[in-house]
Amino acid sequence: MGLLRIIKFSLQDMARNASLSFMTVLILVLMLLSVNTLIVVRVLTNSAVESINNQLDVSVHFVPEAEPEKIEELRVYLSSSPEVSEVTVLNAQDVLERFKQTNRNKPKILASLEELGKNPFGPTIIVKTHDPKDYEAVIASLEVPEYASLIQDNDFIDTQTGITKIHAITSQVERFTIVLSALFAFISFIIIFNTVRVAIFTQRIEISIKKLVGATNWFVRGPYIFESLFFTVISMGIAGALMYFALGLIDPHMNGLFRDSFILTNYYKSHILELAAGQFFAVLALTTLTSLLAMRRYLKV
Amino acid sequence: MITLKGVSKFYDKKSIGLDDIDLAIEAGEMISIVGQSGTGKTTLVKLLIAEEQPSKGKIEVGGWDITNISGKDIPLLRRQIGVIFQDFKLLGKKTVQENVAFALEVAGEAKKRISDIVPKVLDVVGLTDVLHKYPFQLSGGEQQRVAIARSLVHRPKILVADEPTGNLDTINTHEIIEILKKINDFGTTVVLVTHNRDIVNKLKKRVITLEDGKIVSDEKRGKYRL
Repeated sequence: MGLLRIIKFSLQDMARNASLSFMTVLILVLMLLSVNTLIVVRVLTNSAVESINNQLDVSVHFVPEAEPEKIEELRVYLSSSPEVSEVTVLNAQDVLERFKQTNRNKPKILASLEELGKNPFGPTIIVKTHDPKDYEAVIASLEVPEYASLIQDNDFIDTQTGITKIHAITSQVERFTIVLSALFAFISFIIIFNTVRVAIFTQRIEISIKKLVGATNWFVRGPYIFESLFFTVISMGIAGALMYFALGLIDPHMNGLFRDSFILTNYYKSHILELAAGQFFAVLALTTLTSLLAMRRYLKV
Repeated sequence: MITLKGVSKFYDKKSIGLDDIDLAIEAGEMISIVGQSGTGKTTLVKLLIAEEQPSKGKIEVGGWDITNISGKDIPLLRRQIGVIFQDFKLLGKKTVQENVAFALEVAGEAKKRISDIVPKVLDVVGLTDVLHKYPFQLSGGEQQRVAIARSLVHRPKILVADEPTGNLDTINTHEIIEILKKINDFGTTVVLVTHNRDIVNKLKKRVITLEDGKIVSDEKRGKYRL
């Protein structure tokens, strides 16, 4: 009976303070949208970095006379390294085909190749690592005299420059995202604390009257706690619906940029429980705690 | 019904609310407490409804020692003492009916009992035709009658009225006093705190005069003598 009455009072309060209720929900929705924008930025950044990482590799070009046994030995050696994710060996013919394919629109280059009359390329090993940082270790492991006579050329230097740039960009983006997240969280806390504080302050006379006619603390506090719950549910619903439509609009434009399609929708689908529960409890804790903090000042009747 | 023994209330060294008060109010009495502003009348009301606790002395209400009443018991005390104020203290966002019903709802009364009692108490104060109006749609006299109806829902043995006519014109003042007399005739002890000389003189009931936090006169059929 008491609980139902408290729920009834909280719904009545929300309806009769419609403008304040609207403002509170609006601020909560904006906060949730900010947080989700950051999540989207992070997902896109991570995917971009991953996509670039996938395109990176170290190619080791051998002299045409390199013995297949030596190449196989090097392949086994590289494959056994924990940092290495993939080792691909291309024989001289494969390398020639790739070269022709890459330069198919450059007839002069292809004509020069014809004039040579033989395959000028040696075999190539393409090495990929789990983390771009590990390319440095792979490069270092090849710089030994035993392999010096086998290796004709490599694209180590270019790769290294690319890796360094990606590291710099990634760490900058991550730093920026963390600072922005902290800023949004701080602003949200201040806004919500003040909204609830003002709501309680404007109702301080009502609170004192409730106490005067014999209402217990639970009867006075209860409606505000339920209001916090209702505000959280409503704002989560609105923010969820807005995010659903926003993802529907953004995702098709991302398809051309990344290897996977519908990257954001898929991320939200696969993480929906932790994202929804995390945001729900965070907002509920924020609204309830601020309500309780603000009420402590006006319950001394 | 109400007993105060050696009760004092100090706010700080220079501000004394009440100073060593001894007072006994019998069941069914109607008494007026008079005095200039700042003589301790409102402090006395606050002590009776446990809004404040005495610095010294002992207070009993209906045999219940409320001197150091716990926070948990305050709601129970307030359901046993009806109280009305000069500024009515109605909930602005609730209708007349809801304001009166609220005092029963917070006590956990059943819906059926609430719908029985509310019309009856509103009938006692003559307000059956404004059930669904909000306080701001009523006159001062009507608002005070809603407050009286609300104070009666628990059938209190004591009704404390702190300057109940302070915001009312002569006609409404007369109506409110008549309602308080009717309530007293039903057996409820009425403690009336007032500045109004005419009311006190017409009532011809017990009058207690406060000055600087002390009782300076206590007359069975007294008059306003300030």
